[in-house]
Amino acid sequence: MKTIPPPCSEPLSGQRYWRSLDQLADSPEFQQWVEREFPAGASEFSDPIGRRHFIKIMSASFLLAGLGVTGCRRPEEKILPFGKAPENFIHGVAQFYATAMPTRGSAIPLVVKAHDGRPTKIEGNKDHPDSNGATDTFAQASILGLYDPDRSQRFTKGGNEVPREQAFDALKQLAAAVAANGGAGLAFLVERSSSPSRARLRDLIMQKFSKAQWIIYEPLHLEMNRTVAGNLAGQPLSPYYKLDAAKVILSLDCDFIGSEQDTYIHCRNYARGRKITKPTDTMNRLYSVEGLLTQTGMNADHRLRVPTTSALAVTAAIAAQIVDNPQVKALAGKFALPSNVKQEWIVECANDLKANQGASLVMAGYRQPGAVHVLANLINAALQNNGKTVLFLNTPQEAATGTITDLANGLRNGQVNTLVVLGGNPVLNAPADFDWKTLQRRAQNIVRLGYYEDETFPITDWHFPMAHYLESWGDARTADGTLVAIQPLIAPLFGGVTELEVLGVFAGLQSLRPYDIARETFGLLAGGDSSDVAWKKFLHNGFLANSAAAPVNAAFAPDKITSALNSAAAADLPAKEKLEIVFQRDYKIDDGRYNNNGWLQELPDPITKTVWDGLVLVSRVTAADYGVVNDDVVEIELNGRKIQGPIWIQPGLADYSVSLALGYGRQRSSTGGTGRVGDKVGLYNGYDLRTTASEHAAVGGKLRRTGAVYKVACTQEHGSMEGRPIIREATLEQFKKKPDFAKNMDLESHSDYVPKDPKTGFPVMIYEHPYKGFELRKGQSGVKLTGLKFASDIHQWGMSIDLNACVGCSSCVLACQSENNVPIVGKEQVYRNREMHWLRIDRYFSGAYDRAKPQLIDDPQVVNQPMLCQHCENAPCESVCPVNATVHDEEGLNVMAYNRCVGTRYCSNNCPYKVRRFNFFDYNKRQLGPKLYKNPITTVGDDGKWELARWWNDPASSSRPEDEWELSKLVKNPDVTVRMRGVMEKCTFCVQRIEGAKIAQKVKVGQSGDVRVPDGVITPACAQACPAEAIVFGNMLDPNSRVSQLKRQERDYTVLGFLDTRPRLTYLARLRNPNPKMPDYYETPLNIAEYEKREGGGEGGGYGGGHGEPNNPEAKPAAEKGIH
Amino acid sequence: MSEIFPKWTNRLPLYLIIGALLVGGGVTAGVWYYFTPKYTRVGYEPIQPVGFPHSVHVDQLGMDCRYCHSTVEKSWYSNVPSSSTCMNCHNQVLKEDPRLALIRESAQTGKPVPWVQVHKVPDFVYFNHSVHVNRGISCVHCHGQINKMDEVYHAKPLSMSFCLDCHRNPAPNLRPKDKITQLDWNPHEHLPKDWGKKAVKEWNVNASQNCSACHR
Repeated sequence: MKTIPPPCSEPLSGQRYWRSLDQLADSPEFQQWVEREFPAGASEFSDPIGRRHFIKIMSASFLLAGLGVTGCRRPEEKILPFGKAPENFIHGVAQFYATAMPTRGSAIPLVVKAHDGRPTKIEGNKDHPDSNGATDTFAQASILGLYDPDRSQRFTKGGNEVPREQAFDALKQLAAAVAANGGAGLAFLVERSSSPSRARLRDLIMQKFSKAQWIIYEPLHLEMNRTVAGNLAGQPLSPYYKLDAAKVILSLDCDFIGSEQDTYIHCRNYARGRKITKPTDTMNRLYSVEGLLTQTGMNADHRLRVPTTSALAVTAAIAAQIVDNPQVKALAGKFALPSNVKQEWIVECANDLKANQGASLVMAGYRQPGAVHVLANLINAALQNNGKTVLFLNTPQEAATGTITDLANGLRNGQVNTLVVLGGNPVLNAPADFDWKTLQRRAQNIVRLGYYEDETFPITDWHFPMAHYLESWGDARTADGTLVAIQPLIAPLFGGVTELEVLGVFAGLQSLRPYDIARETFGLLAGGDSSDVAWKKFLHNGFLANSAAAPVNAAFAPDKITSALNSAAAADLPAKEKLEIVFQRDYKIDDGRYNNNGWLQELPDPITKTVWDGLVLVSRVTAADYGVVNDDVVEIELNGRKIQGPIWIQPGLADYSVSLALGYGRQRSSTGGTGRVGDKVGLYNGYDLRTTASEHAAVGGKLRRTGAVYKVACTQEHGSMEGRPIIREATLEQFKKKPDFAKNMDLESHSDYVPKDPKTGFPVMIYEHPYKGFELRKGQSGVKLTGLKFASDIHQWGMSIDLNACVGCSSCVLACQSENNVPIVGKEQVYRNREMHWLRIDRYFSGAYDRAKPQLIDDPQVVNQPMLCQHCENAPCESVCPVNATVHDEEGLNVMAYNRCVGTRYCSNNCPYKVRRFNFFDYNKRQLGPKLYKNPITTVGDDGKWELARWWNDPASSSRPEDEWELSKLVKNPDVTVRMRGVMEKCTFCVQRIEGAKIAQKVKVGQSGDVRVPDGVITPACAQACPAEAIVFGNMLDPNSRVSQLKRQERDYTVLGFLDTRPRLTYLARLRNPNPKMPDYYETPLNIAEYEKREGGGEGGGYGGGHGEPNNPEAKPAAEKGIH
Repeated sequence: MSEIFPKWTNRLPLYLIIGALLVGGGVTAGVWYYFTPKYTRVGYEPIQPVGFPHSVHVDQLGMDCRYCHSTVEKSWYSNVPSSSTCMNCHNQVLKEDPRLALIRESAQTGKPVPWVQVHKVPDFVYFNHSVHVNRGISCVHCHGQINKMDEVYHAKPLSMSFCLDCHRNPAPNLRPKDKITQLDWNPHEHLPKDWGKKAVKEWNVNASQNCSACHR
């Protein structure tokens, strides 16, 4: 049993016996005990004289028993089966349920794994028509939010707890009161949702309360493209982007890989257009125009670095080349381009788009004003992309009666007296010029459904705790319009309620049960078949088949176009004295909603690789002008509001542009704030600066040094590969000329003095292979090892990561953390490089090698590489473990036996890839922060109890607060050990999934020989979560498995191959696809140019076939290479 | 110089060394014998809240192990049955018997019967019942003659060396699938001599001796 048993009553100790021996000697328990322990002496016991003698002997042992020596019995542990077992419940076998995570205007279809009736791991729903089974970072981390001890757990009135019935009664009375005057004075402030059930309830409510207001507010308006498309066409439209059908993509500050909606779909489709197998394949080309360095910009083939507010000018210039509209051409003439923009860039980009009519795509980002979106739509239309790479879907969208500005006015005028806030956190994230804290209080009756008792909590009259989506019934629509079910994996842990229940009171529904509400909605939407069977099928699959929205021919009204273009206003070009301030959707905490999620806080930001902080990002030029360096605290002022934050120099950021994060700098407070995790994380709160005039970006900011310094924890300070070909890349042209370029780089290929194996052409191993060594030694020592198969001939595991597909989104990092119980360590420990992530994404910048040094990083090229245990065949870590805790198993995995490890850390020392993580402290049982360092002998806990005494009484307890401890146990995966202090850990290729699959195969075939696991059955957590399908795992002995096919590709290479570690994890080199006509065309990717310069590649280095090094045209497949 | 030390102290270091060696040897031998699972675990027979006799149910009545331990073929965990399983028969048989009061109460109220766990491997060991049961290892190999026990006791040490003894040589311990739960059936009396070896080859039995098989 892997669960810790509940503490049972202490067994009788010898001390008790010592006191009342004779008395106890008569008890039936004792007699039974004696009979069992001493069957021989039991008969003596009934004889009175024998009894005395017996007790004399026993007394000594009783004394010892009191001291806990005799018997050495393990403590009694109980098995507690059900009184009445539920159906289909098998302890030890996980159950899977389909559900969906609602994401603003869309949803991610999920299949969630549950153990013993509680969810433990989130996966995507492969069966959904618009999903490949992948998720994004927020979905992976959302499960931690379910088990958050800082969640709201109570219904309150005026801040005091009340019973649930009382709260609902009050709500019903409130609804009745506003019904009297048709809803005048009633306003709903809701978050964006795609739920048809909620929309149906909204319609019912608006019918009943015709004068009520329905305000949808999201601080980040990710739906901008839908709004604009809808305005232009006069009907609600959702643009759906088919990136896989596009050969040329232009992103106008549109971070579709990282920050827009539905990144999991975009990553997948973009990567599909990027992957190639042979030199004759084609690749897409990505142009990016942006001011911040975003994940999309990181992956772009050509990137134009302009301030965010200048993207309009660039868009107009490009549009003028393509769209035959005099107003557009006039607009281009009106706006001045920033000085670093070359006209050639604009022209050639436009030409490339024009050359790919019907196979190009222009996307505008949510930060950009409506005019940019209109221009993007016009370009797409002119290029005949509509219906091919961009589809306009007629998905129903919830209509709002106004914006938050209307609500603010209503509150100010006293028109709104009953305010119902569902979710959200308006006191935190409403525009700062509203002063929402005071404004909201003007309403007389405020009801709020909140997940946390946060900043909005004190400004409410009635507070209802919100249920997590994993505890809720509901529905949603994914991007293509398919209806998906939201079904709970667990009953609400703390009695939370859903939006549907609160709205149901106002709608006057018969049954407030969200199950009934969702069921009824399904009945209305299912079309032909809405029977119970169809409903069960819907819940089983997670989606309703054939419910995707059909694309419509979107005709844009010319007058709408004209008015939109007329309203286009150019912003000033930023300069030193008027900086551009841009508010970014943080890659980790979103708009601040995940502030209390430890996994997301500790996830290294994909661009800056910093953790636990909100930074003030500036470019090198800006920092140099102000004389600031990393960690300097500066004050940013915008329109009279000020914040202070630490500087971080971000290569690739536009000059005189400052990027700020939203939602950090919150505090925990008894009246209402964030939770224990998010307490005081980050110096500033971006919302303090954000007003209606500066929703996404504004020019006019000021920066001032304060002189203070603030430590920022960064997991990768080393931003350059410095000419070492760790990540190998080439342009598509180079690849066509020399397909095996990746195999002819670095020392292992420049090694004509090393003897080569004639069969494979690969250098002969410099170490004795562990499998081979055994074969040699078996004969020598004469050891008889029967039944030992040293190298399995059934499975040999390998993995391949396609760097062409990896976009650096970091979903794999969180999936690994969720699956393998990887702890978080807190900012201080990350600062000391003790982060525990088994899988990290290395991110390198490379500058143009012919520029003067300081400008190297202004326009960098960025590459990402997931780095995890390579499972080397000649593992440097295995041979140095003094206790043999890390060994090689017969299927090629480098295995870690945690119970054997003594914490020497020599293995980590020896690992060239530095992928081994050590548990310096007990990160599970101890509170993060300075308390990690306290030793139990001299520490007294928060409750006044001596730590050692607490441990003695119950070794399974922790020094964390009780609620934190109990909930944190629930999120752990029971199939994986939870590691203690002093133990080394690392990626295991999800050995629990491998063993589980092997066992399942053996169970399936029973007593027969077909024990090989078919390809595709085993997917490690990282591979399953990757939306770009970059990580592939499988059996290298099977020549038809996906991983074998990938390893046979010419782009396949080994990181640090010259060390001859022979890793089972190989990478496929990255390719870039630059346009030769562009002014910033590069023949060689910049980091390879650095490599060639360093390696003295005058004769072309690894590309030109110089050095007189014979190429190897007969390189054998990797499957053979791996096993000797 | 006067003699400070008496003469017998000349031999003292020798006696001390011999004594230390003997004591050290004795302690080592003691630990070697007494501190192993073979001594500490074998014979453990805790008092159960309800005195359930396997001898009556399995030997006399002929119930199959899997009637109660129903998940042993599907899961790593072999379940102790819920009280409702007991009540399948005991709602008619011995239905007023005071010894079964706890079971009846449990089936009625859902409160679990607090059985004391007898067989337990450490938390860092991940043992899977289903793969062993489905591939020809009988219950008797690890649990002993449960069908003869009045109260369950720990019959085998279940130490790592115990597991490795079989994993190093699984052939003698295999038996046909239909004989898995017949604990009295001795494979060596019924099967040909090389049956096990042939089974290992035919079924691709690879009883892994690598750490990853059990320690994850």
